[in-house]
Amino acid sequence: MINHIKKSKYIENKIPLRDPSKVMKLERLGSFHQSRLSFSRQLINEIVQNKWIFNISEWNINNDGIGHAVINSICNKNIFSLVIFSHSIQDEERSDRVIAEKWDMTFSLFKGKPSKKEITHMSENLKIQELGRHLPKQLTLSRANKSVRIFEKVLDALSNGRQPDHNLINDIGYLVRTTAVYGNGKFGIGDFSKMQSEHFLRKPFQAEMLTVYLIRYFSIELINFLSKVKGGLKAVKLSEIISKHIGVGNATGLGMAPFLFNHQELLHQWIYAKETALSRVLSLDKISIDKQSDIFNLIEQAYQYSVQWKVSDPIQYNKIKILNSDLQVILKNINTKVILNQSYPLKKLTNFFKDDISIETEEILHSIFLEPFGNIIDDLINNMSVIEKNTVSINFNVKEIIEMIEKNYSWALDIDLKKDEENWFFWYTSQAKLEPRLGIRKKDKGFDKELPFDIPHQIQKGMVILRSLPNDMLGTEAMLNYPELRNIIRRIIINNVSPYSEIQDNLIGFNSKPIDILRCKLSFFGASKYDPKSDLWTRITLFQGAPLPHQLKEKDACNWLFPSLPIYN
Amino acid sequence: MVQLSLNEIYSETQKALRSLGIDWGIAKDCAVLTRWLALHNQYFLGSILKTADMYKNKKISISIQENNFKKPLSANLMGMLLVEYIAAKKIVWEGFLYNPKFILAAMNIIAIEQKINMELRDKNNKVIAFTNNKKLYADIIQLKTSNGYFFLSLEINNKINKLDKFVTPSAQNTSYVNEKCWNKLKAMAFETYVPESETSISGAGY
Repeated sequence: MINHIKKSKYIENKIPLRDPSKVMKLERLGSFHQSRLSFSRQLINEIVQNKWIFNISEWNINNDGIGHAVINSICNKNIFSLVIFSHSIQDEERSDRVIAEKWDMTFSLFKGKPSKKEITHMSENLKIQELGRHLPKQLTLSRANKSVRIFEKVLDALSNGRQPDHNLINDIGYLVRTTAVYGNGKFGIGDFSKMQSEHFLRKPFQAEMLTVYLIRYFSIELINFLSKVKGGLKAVKLSEIISKHIGVGNATGLGMAPFLFNHQELLHQWIYAKETALSRVLSLDKISIDKQSDIFNLIEQAYQYSVQWKVSDPIQYNKIKILNSDLQVILKNINTKVILNQSYPLKKLTNFFKDDISIETEEILHSIFLEPFGNIIDDLINNMSVIEKNTVSINFNVKEIIEMIEKNYSWALDIDLKKDEENWFFWYTSQAKLEPRLGIRKKDKGFDKELPFDIPHQIQKGMVILRSLPNDMLGTEAMLNYPELRNIIRRIIINNVSPYSEIQDNLIGFNSKPIDILRCKLSFFGASKYDPKSDLWTRITLFQGAPLPHQLKEKDACNWLFPSLPIYN
Repeated sequence: MVQLSLNEIYSETQKALRSLGIDWGIAKDCAVLTRWLALHNQYFLGSILKTADMYKNKKISISIQENNFKKPLSANLMGMLLVEYIAAKKIVWEGFLYNPKFILAAMNIIAIEQKINMELRDKNNKVIAFTNNKKLYADIIQLKTSNGYFFLSLEINNKINKLDKFVTPSAQNTSYVNEKCWNKLKAMAFETYVPESETSISGAGY
């Protein structure tokens, strides 16, 4: 049990937070869903609350869709501009590969309004992405391709005065798909740490989220513009309902996995915020009739969402099938509405169904439970960032560090590392992509350059050294004498105060599925419609159902947890 | 000259040191100290390259038991651990330090993060740097030497110190470095990369 729950000014937590040994398993992390704490949701809330203004200040796109544009987003005195270059490429040059050399579109989020000179610099460097040198005023670097499955079909329909088929829109969900969104100092762009005086950048991944949100806006403006060019007077714009259902696709792979290892304290803050939020809502002793109705409606929406969630991956397909069936059972069970009207309704509802539903369903229920209770959980958003420490706390001796291992890393001590299956993979940085990849130890070359994600191995080796040392030797002295302990002792000490900071599985074991790590991170981004293409990469959709700039004043602008589109057969 | 972000400096330094087989934790410490120097407009790149060279040739030490004029303790690599050790043991350490500027970085970082103040004295026992209230006061010129004998301890009494210059972060979030040297560091970092295998290619989005 986590024993350092901060007292909320809103509610006393009566239900303890879930134990890290339950939460931090890959299978559960890989079942997380988007929630109202997700970063894309945080951005839209920020935009609505602070009345951001959006305008297209430059539109130099020709009739073939080639050229450049600038979209400004203005908050108080701050301007963030998305600079867009739309290029001409051949169909066969379009690729999800992270090191593809050409893209339909390249982007950068720029702090302020770029000058002509800066636009010229970006016109030369953005199109070559990682190979270019970028300006410190650039906050992100990104690129996207048109979806070959949908873009031309939608354009064709609109230019002929028709709305595209809802089935088609739902099956794909986006007009363009990004293949990378870089931030925070990569390739010469600005470090976020120096810009945290900007209020909205203090929250995690907000520059990246704003980039994607504006890419989505651009993709819809572009298709409306091109349909007018192609169809003239008979052309129509994408309808409001379809526009809102268009997100931005993203193909994402192992590149984003190491972030969760390398930023232990941040991982803890994210999970801790979510678990605290869950504890708070489960601790509610009663909920109003309106909130009961909200919860029931959200379960229905989640059901509709699961029906429209189409994947080809057999494992995820089965998970969705079970999710679908579980949600149907919950909706049809007469006890659901009865329990919602009783004391401790959400805790009771969880207990009532917990033995009969999958982890995927359990976690979607948690996202549902959080949704109507912004008034008691939204303060947690402010704790989802952290300034990570570079030093290691000096207060512990060898005995105390051993005790921490025994208490917090028993999962790592229990693994039999002599078995081949526990030494199956190794993580490395690929020469071709400069991105993390997985190799097989007994087959592939390069495990001497392994990345340090073999936590159980480091724990067991470290334990042997630590047990050979005097109990009262200081941890700092142990590390000074055995520098190979530095990395793992740092992790152990961080984990001692940040218990959700370690994924409790062997990440080089045969059974480990990196896709679960991606899903965990993507759920915090607010991704939906996970569409795994293997254990190593997935397609997702961001901002599907989010309001477009002209829809921000709508009453329910901030409510878009489970977007679904009416399907007419 | 090439303009770099602080995160580029951090990540390439860590990788470059890994290419020499330096432990992960130590490489990370050094990258942190290097980023601090870059942020504070201090020269760092030549020191890292020289350290790499000396480490390969076993001309610097990473052990406090083994350090002398010919083989001083590397402040780049062990600076962070050294200040933590002294802070925990509450002792006065003395010995030869290579690239003592990196100790300043470690002193400032531990002062900010753990509110532990320290002071650095030269072989004549003259205070050349100390921390107080999260600020670093230092006579940087005295630390231009690459190798020297120093005393490092918890701060004793800053009031008697004459130092009034404190080192502040740059207003810029970038650093300009010699492109040739930077490319050398990047080439070292590149050695930690592995050619892709069939395993990694299959199912990885190709």
